[in-house]
Amino acid sequence: MTSILADNLTKKFGDLYAVDSLNLAVEKEIFGLLGPNGSGKTTTVLMLTTLLAQTTGTASICGHDTRREPDLVRECISYVPQEMAVDPNLTGRENLLIFARLYGIPNPKDKVDELLGIMELTDRAHDLAKTYSGGMRRRLELAEALVHEPEVIFLDEPTLGLDVGARQNIWQHIHALNKKGMTIFMTTHYMDEADKYCDRVGIISHGKVVALGSPAELKARLMNTVITVTLEGNYSPVQLDGLVFVGQSGNAYAFTAENGSEALPLLADALGRAGNRVKAMSLREPSLDDVFLQSVGKQEEPRGFEEMKFRMMLHRRH
Amino acid sequence: MKGVTTYIYRDFIRWIRYRVGVVSALVLPAAWLLFVGCALPVTFTGNYLDFITPGILVMTILTAGIASGSLLMFDKILGYLNKFLAMPVPRESILVGKILFISIRGLLQATIILVIAVLIGATLMTPLQYGLVYLILFLFGVFISSFSTTVALYLEEHDSFAAFSAMVTMPLFFTSSALMPYDAMPGWLSAIAHVNPLSFAIDAIRDVGAGSIPAVPILLLLIVTAVVVVCAGYVFRKVTI
Ligand SMILES: Nc1ncnc2c1ncn2[C@@H]1O[C@H](COP(=O)(O)OP(=O)(O)OP(=O)(O)O)[C@@H](O)[C@H]1O
Ligand SMILES: [Mg+2]
Repeated sequence: MTSILADNLTKKFGDLYAVDSLNLAVEKEIFGLLGPNGSGKTTTVLMLTTLLAQTTGTASICGHDTRREPDLVRECISYVPQEMAVDPNLTGRENLLIFARLYGIPNPKDKVDELLGIMELTDRAHDLAKTYSGGMRRRLELAEALVHEPEVIFLDEPTLGLDVGARQNIWQHIHALNKKGMTIFMTTHYMDEADKYCDRVGIISHGKVVALGSPAELKARLMNTVITVTLEGNYSPVQLDGLVFVGQSGNAYAFTAENGSEALPLLADALGRAGNRVKAMSLREPSLDDVFLQSVGKQEEPRGFEEMKFRMMLHRRH
Repeated sequence: MKGVTTYIYRDFIRWIRYRVGVVSALVLPAAWLLFVGCALPVTFTGNYLDFITPGILVMTILTAGIASGSLLMFDKILGYLNKFLAMPVPRESILVGKILFISIRGLLQATIILVIAVLIGATLMTPLQYGLVYLILFLFGVFISSFSTTVALYLEEHDSFAAFSAMVTMPLFFTSSALMPYDAMPGWLSAIAHVNPLSFAIDAIRDVGAGSIPAVPILLLLIVTAVVVVCAGYVFRKVTI
């Protein structure tokens, strides 16, 4: 059965379409929703987890409609929010025990000890959660989400603010869960992670899905090679057959071509003739970053300063 | 039910873990009683201590009940509430857990006040009378805490909640019959005091102290409380963030 189904799911905040006619079908896989700040990732997750009512459209999880059968949906999901949410004044073990009891697990204490072991928290289990590092809190949250062995687990930016080692660690856990048959729906900013670990990704921009597929497919659509050019000063556009301008980040400009090594000298010439001052050029395989850049473009957040966002940022700092 | 006891368990360990919280909850009402009951040089009635104790009791339950919303606000700001709301546990158990924890803690405070009151000269009552006092306080506690928890569910900021609580607590207390009998009040105050829900609970407790059984007020309190709880439960069931 399809784990997550969204049909024209739309959420408006006033005049702003935070999520705009989202269509999605997620099977038992690791699905990554990628998008810049304010593109509607969290809003999507909140609607799918029954926490937010959509303006129009429908969504169903494991065949249950999120608005008509929210209790059944809640039975088969777990949700880890973007801001870290563990009770700082309880120990890790107490935090976990509360979740095990709330889910009505038969032997809550055994289950808790097992999960603490899996998440490598056993030796800190009796310390207050406020003394935990960011990575430990994330693992504790993941443990909380796993007490009832959900069919679908929603992770809103699970690796945000973690160091490389901790991120890898979280990913290993996520991967293992998927192997056990769980559907993982997650959002992230880290393209390299999505590329490496997600079976499929959707790129969302201004509430709309602008690219959907496996990382390999999406990269293949960008043709074979990416040429990155670092310029000094402004870019005067050039036109060459078989060469596509992908996007810009800082003073680095990305192009794709069917055969990069042939296109490179031609591009160098063309750039020079158009009056660009080329500092460096390089050739590489396309990455998900390029896909992202091309589908999203350079964009501002939908609105400027938003208090809500600011508060969310403050939360993340902890 | 499992959900309710777990939520109570959580609030309970959070409470006893911090000695300041325990001390302030238990000592503050006692200090109030000693200060207002003994130090204030007023004599409206024969035994002013007997007169003031019901007021202090209800005031304590009011403060405790408002704190219920504050607890929910904390979970909300922490992002913890969202997790609970996304769980299959009936959402009303969040509300019921808070109400029971707060009401039990309130009754604990009330016990301390009652003991101290007797120690410093209030009239000792019969077990039945104490039972009725607890019943009234419990109903009133449930009424206030379900109200404040529901308000907290809709407010965005902790500051707004603090403002709400200040706006409710002090004015209610000073315009109630807690500190002086109706006939000692100026006319306008007496008019307000008569419709103040706090006076309602206080007067009922005074009736108990005077030896009667205030069946009608208790029944009314029961009905109003039941209505508020059912509405609040419905709100919790349906709420989206
Ligand atoms: N409660 C709300 N009221 C008004 N606008 C909101 C609300 N929640 C979100 N928005 C707006 O909806 C848009 C999408 O927000 P959302 O939180 O879903 O973005 P996001 O993709 O999760 O961003 P980030 O990567 O920063 O977490 C933003 O413009 C945001 O300001
Ligand atoms: Mg987000």
